[in-house]
Amino acid sequence: MSDVALIHVVDDDESQRVALLRLLGAAGFETRGYGCTGEFLLQPLPDRPACLLLDMHLPGPSGLELQAALQLRGCTLPVVFLTGYGDVASSVQAMKAGAVDFLSKPIERDALLDAIGRALARDRALRAAGREAADLRSRFAALTPREREVFDGVVAGKLNKQIAEAMGIAERTVKLQRAQMMRKLGAGSAAELGALAERLKGLCARYSPEA
Amino acid sequence: MPRFVCFLRSLRCARRLLGLLGCALLLASAGPATATEEPRILVLFGYQRALPATIKVEQGLDETIAAGTDVSIEFLDSARFSGEAYVRAVTRFLRDKYAQRPPQVIVAGGEDALTFLLSHREALFPHAPIVHFGIRRSMLASLAPLPADVVGIPIEFDAVRTIDLALRLSPRAKRLVLVTGAAPWDRAWEARLRKEVTRFAGRVTPEFLAGLPTDELLERLRALDRDSIVFTSGYFRDGNGDDFIPVAAGAAMARAASVPVFAPSDTTMGTGIVGGYSPSYVVMGREVGRSVNALLDGVAPQALALPAVLPTTLNLDWNQIRRWRLDRDEIPEDAVIHFREPSFLEAHRDEAILFAVVMLLQSGLIVWLLVERRRRRVAEQAEQKQRFALVHASRVSVAGELTGSIAHEINQPLGAILSNTDAAELILGAGAGTDTEAESWPDPARHRELRAILADIRRDDLRASEVIRRLRALLGKQRTESTPLDLVEVAGEVVALLRVEARRRRMTLSLDSAVQHAIILGDRIQIQQVMIILVINAMDAIDAMDAGAADRRLVVMTLEARARGYRITVTDHGTGIAPEHLEQVFESFFSTKPDGMGLGLSIARTLVNTHHGRIWAENAAAGGARFQVELPALGGARGESRFNKEGASA
Repeated sequence: MSDVALIHVVDDDESQRVALLRLLGAAGFETRGYGCTGEFLLQPLPDRPACLLLDMHLPGPSGLELQAALQLRGCTLPVVFLTGYGDVASSVQAMKAGAVDFLSKPIERDALLDAIGRALARDRALRAAGREAADLRSRFAALTPREREVFDGVVAGKLNKQIAEAMGIAERTVKLQRAQMMRKLGAGSAAELGALAERLKGLCARYSPEA
Repeated sequence: MPRFVCFLRSLRCARRLLGLLGCALLLASAGPATATEEPRILVLFGYQRALPATIKVEQGLDETIAAGTDVSIEFLDSARFSGEAYVRAVTRFLRDKYAQRPPQVIVAGGEDALTFLLSHREALFPHAPIVHFGIRRSMLASLAPLPADVVGIPIEFDAVRTIDLALRLSPRAKRLVLVTGAAPWDRAWEARLRKEVTRFAGRVTPEFLAGLPTDELLERLRALDRDSIVFTSGYFRDGNGDDFIPVAAGAAMARAASVPVFAPSDTTMGTGIVGGYSPSYVVMGREVGRSVNALLDGVAPQALALPAVLPTTLNLDWNQIRRWRLDRDEIPEDAVIHFREPSFLEAHRDEAILFAVVMLLQSGLIVWLLVERRRRRVAEQAEQKQRFALVHASRVSVAGELTGSIAHEINQPLGAILSNTDAAELILGAGAGTDTEAESWPDPARHRELRAILADIRRDDLRASEVIRRLRALLGKQRTESTPLDLVEVAGEVVALLRVEARRRRMTLSLDSAVQHAIILGDRIQIQQVMIILVINAMDAIDAMDAGAADRRLVVMTLEARARGYRITVTDHGTGIAPEHLEQVFESFFSTKPDGMGLGLSIARTLVNTHHGRIWAENAAAGGARFQVELPALGGARGESRFNKEGASA
């Protein structure tokens, strides 16, 4: 996994696209160019810091339509729109759908790099959150059914004795499984476990079909 | 018109026929009377045959005397012939002559005739009643009382009324000149005038020219001042002892005088005399005729209700009125005006009415034509104005579309150039600490030069894009004039406007509206433009087919209500649109026509978008293309309201 950010550029105008790739390359980014939305969708997205520089008017599906398609798939890749002539209606629609910025051609370097910078920052944040969520989920998935029951009891604020009674096992067994559960989840204290549970709850709410 | 003349002619014929019929009836009724007892009368004039008064009286008599009456006329001619021997001879002649056919009624004309008849009555016609006429009342009064069977209507020359009238007709007159003669009658008349004229003393100075020799008199009349008028009744004898007929004397005076001459006699008309009040000799003849008829019918002479004096009438000569510029306003209503040429209208009344009617009709026609012409001109101007507005709007749209497209096309390379420049600058190490970095290059001077070049490219690029930006802003300001308008009405106008074009191309253009009204908010001209573009486009599509069948040369525009507003559909029966072109038809510069600019549909799309509507093309199942436009209805202008809502939430 490379640390150098990858900038996807979708623009049907070849000279514009090539020029943008050159500029971004010179600015130290890794770049990929696409002539239309379909071309972009056909390529797998590598797991690395990235953002999408997207032309509004394209042959076939438009930039806005690509943005909507990505969102539908749960792809969090930040989008910066770049358009020949932007009208108020489409810029409003783009921003509302979560675009980082809506830029007009010809675009000056500083404005472009600034927008790219912001897009990457958002990407970083999103990716970090995603990584953590995945980590948490994998740790939680490692729990045995009994450990999960103990986890629910602890998070609910029950004492070991109460948990043992509810589960119909010895208090000593509860203690043992609690220690194993804490180790698997990487929680040092009951407080840490509580925070973890909160975040899990958030994840569950967001990814309920998968959880 | 000929029919009208025919009508007049037939009317005249009918009148003539009626007249003939009347005559026939009269003749039929007169027949038996002649067979039994033929009434006979004798008219004895005191003067001679040629006197105008005599002729007029005869005329009046002729008019009234019952048909079948035997009328004999004799003249004493006493002015020229006199003496006992003459009177004896005449008496014998009359007695002998009329012994065979004695008259039943005698008419005496003038005082000489009456006195003659009265003195020889026993010898001549002792039993016949006498009707006299033309004798002045004063004269009658001086005679011995008349027998009961001698009747008549006295006359009176009305000097006062005539003079009064003369003064009114010539208000500036200061002098009244009265001319009389030397005969006994003349002297008696003069005496009477002198008495009567005193009543005008305050208004005018009277001056008598009495009994002068004719030459001298005429000389005096020629020399009269302009402020004079003359009154005379002529004379029987002048200062030299020469005899005159009064009318002739008056005529000579009228010819000589430098001022208007008035006379109380109706026989003077046409002699140069202005006119005056006089007993009418024709009326006199009629009165006598009536009296004679009554006597012949057996009415007793005493039973005849005769007027005390013959009424006078006013006769005026229009030529004299004009010649002396007399005051026409003072002419009394009942005046008999002689010699006034009937005015054109009076003379040709029927023709004048016909002419007036024709003129009126013609004027009406002209006015109507003018009004019609003006209305047509106004309509033509309105149509021309509309066409001009459309052409102008079309030009603006083409310019806008063209500029927009060019701006878009140029903007792309400008963007690429800028990005390339930026990239090159980055590669050259532009930015902070450039100088130190430049030093590391093999040739620092060249490096600096390259950086300057890039800076120039960048600046010019930005300048060019600024121009484009401003141009676009300018075109963006093209405001549309949004007013409520009825699509049905607008479509009707467009179809009317393009019918001529359709006929030229031998096509049928029809409008089929499923709604009565389709009110939207928009710019009338722009909506018309969209419709015109679509219809012309459809016509072009049909023309592109070689020799299309007649039933395919048809363009139909339909209008229907949809959930979102109204839909306009223009369907042709051409070859349709190639599937690969369906997407492209609305793009600028895309055209399948050899001479097409490729802007029409692109303009249509821009205009429809401005109205928050949408436009699309498809191929009809029956072949041919179908272009559809949907525009939001007024009040349900969803495009706009949705935009506003989003704008607020953003």
